[in-house]
Amino acid sequence: MERGYWIRSKPVYTSLLWHEKATSHLVVAQGQGGMAVLKLFQLMHPKQAITVLYMPHAEADYSKTLVKVVPEGLQLLETEQEVLTKLDSVLQGMCMGMRLYIAGSEDFIWSVAKVANKFGIEDVGMMKELTGTLARPIYCVHCKATTHAVTTNIVKCRGCGRMLFVRDHFSRQLGAYMGLMIDAESPGELPDIEEIYP
Amino acid sequence: MSMIDIKVAAVEQVTPLVKHFTFVKQDGSPFPAFSGGSHVVVSMNVGGRVHRNPYSLMGSPVDTEAYHISVRKQEQSRGGSVFMHESVEVGTSLQITYPVNLFSLAKKAHKHILIAGGIGITPFMSQLVDLNRLNSNFELHYAFRSPEHGAFAAQLKAICNDKLHCYADSKNERIDLIDLLSKQPLGIHVYVCGPNPMVVAVIEAARNLGWPENHIHSEQFLSPGIGEPFKIQLAKSNIEVHVPAEMSMLEAIEAAGVDADYLCRGGVCGRCEVNVLESDGALLHHDHFLTDAEKASGKKIMPCVSRARCDRLVLDL
Repeated sequence: MERGYWIRSKPVYTSLLWHEKATSHLVVAQGQGGMAVLKLFQLMHPKQAITVLYMPHAEADYSKTLVKVVPEGLQLLETEQEVLTKLDSVLQGMCMGMRLYIAGSEDFIWSVAKVANKFGIEDVGMMKELTGTLARPIYCVHCKATTHAVTTNIVKCRGCGRMLFVRDHFSRQLGAYMGLMIDAESPGELPDIEEIYP
Repeated sequence: MSMIDIKVAAVEQVTPLVKHFTFVKQDGSPFPAFSGGSHVVVSMNVGGRVHRNPYSLMGSPVDTEAYHISVRKQEQSRGGSVFMHESVEVGTSLQITYPVNLFSLAKKAHKHILIAGGIGITPFMSQLVDLNRLNSNFELHYAFRSPEHGAFAAQLKAICNDKLHCYADSKNERIDLIDLLSKQPLGIHVYVCGPNPMVVAVIEAARNLGWPENHIHSEQFLSPGIGEPFKIQLAKSNIEVHVPAEMSMLEAIEAAGVDADYLCRGGVCGRCEVNVLESDGALLHHDHFLTDAEKASGKKIMPCVSRARCDRLVLDL
């Protein structure tokens, strides 16, 4: 990759920090994202109401510690679908001034963001921390299927089977990086497939 | 900058201080369509000196036959609004710029709260047409000095029905911003246009209630204030320009024959930003564009509204 190469659409993730003027706080985390939530609770707790939705993952489960650290408003959930359903119902009761904090893999972050978008919460209104893995959701620009948790530079599309080159070009609307067929001009000729998003 | 030649087709006194002007194109061809919240800069020759003032387009964005603006006669006018009020009549020829929108509606908003103060109602007049056409959810809060100063209130009532809330200062009616902006459901955007204290109050109230910055929209054209005269050196043109008390830096630069970029001429858009190469005194920043840090750094200035108090000021022009 060219040194200094930068693509504007590529998301920038930060560390979670309480937004001091928020009227309420909603924290949504998955797996290793639990550590980001624990770090957040190391900071001075805001006075306003806090809700935490956490989904443990096989690789990382911080539920036991979170139960001790989070004063109230913690809900443990088992699957991503459960998190998203819960999120939907929690957001229905929330008002302008609430702030959303998300921590987890890129797949998880952008699934949460998609639900929040539905409520008119825009990208810049959410704080996001990428944790645990660099694995990417990849949107096939040919068949429109999304392949999840991609850790390599080239991946086989789960929809059409094409070999896709994983780009840095990101769509907030789709919550995924773009994948383009890499051997369209010389079928079967593939560069080495390497794990670059472990 | 390419301009549109227009002539005034109608003038209407709307309130004791506000006149409504209807423009048609000199050659009779249609105007470009625009989006709600757009403005044009009207160029007028006042006693040999060119004034260029920004005014919001308040007609329907899809009406290409005519453009409509309203001008409030400013008590401390440098000449522009007084000229519009006293010298412009049906048949007068003027030049305007193409429309530019620095106050557009957020398309993804679930609801729009529009807050206008006095003549600040004008950009909302064109936005309302867009909102109604898109069947968007909105409410308009319109504050004015007294009922006789509530320009277009009757017309607005017809467009907005119960979505219009009027507040007359003379009757001690005030917008309760905290009440208005608290406990609003998610996905709402707030827009404010009016006098400076009102704009500041709305922005502050929304911020203090935790609203994200991108849900808060404001527009406030400043007129270049009258100040002390000063001198500037233009490095590229290698000339010295005198800025008189009642002229802006940008106007003085233009009068000296130097082409400078501009769009809104009201300290909002950032187009006229100039690098300050050298200065030995204070830069008097009046714009809403530069950040506080940029203003403090003294490296940039917006010549449309800002001035300086110094003996030497060298600009990269």
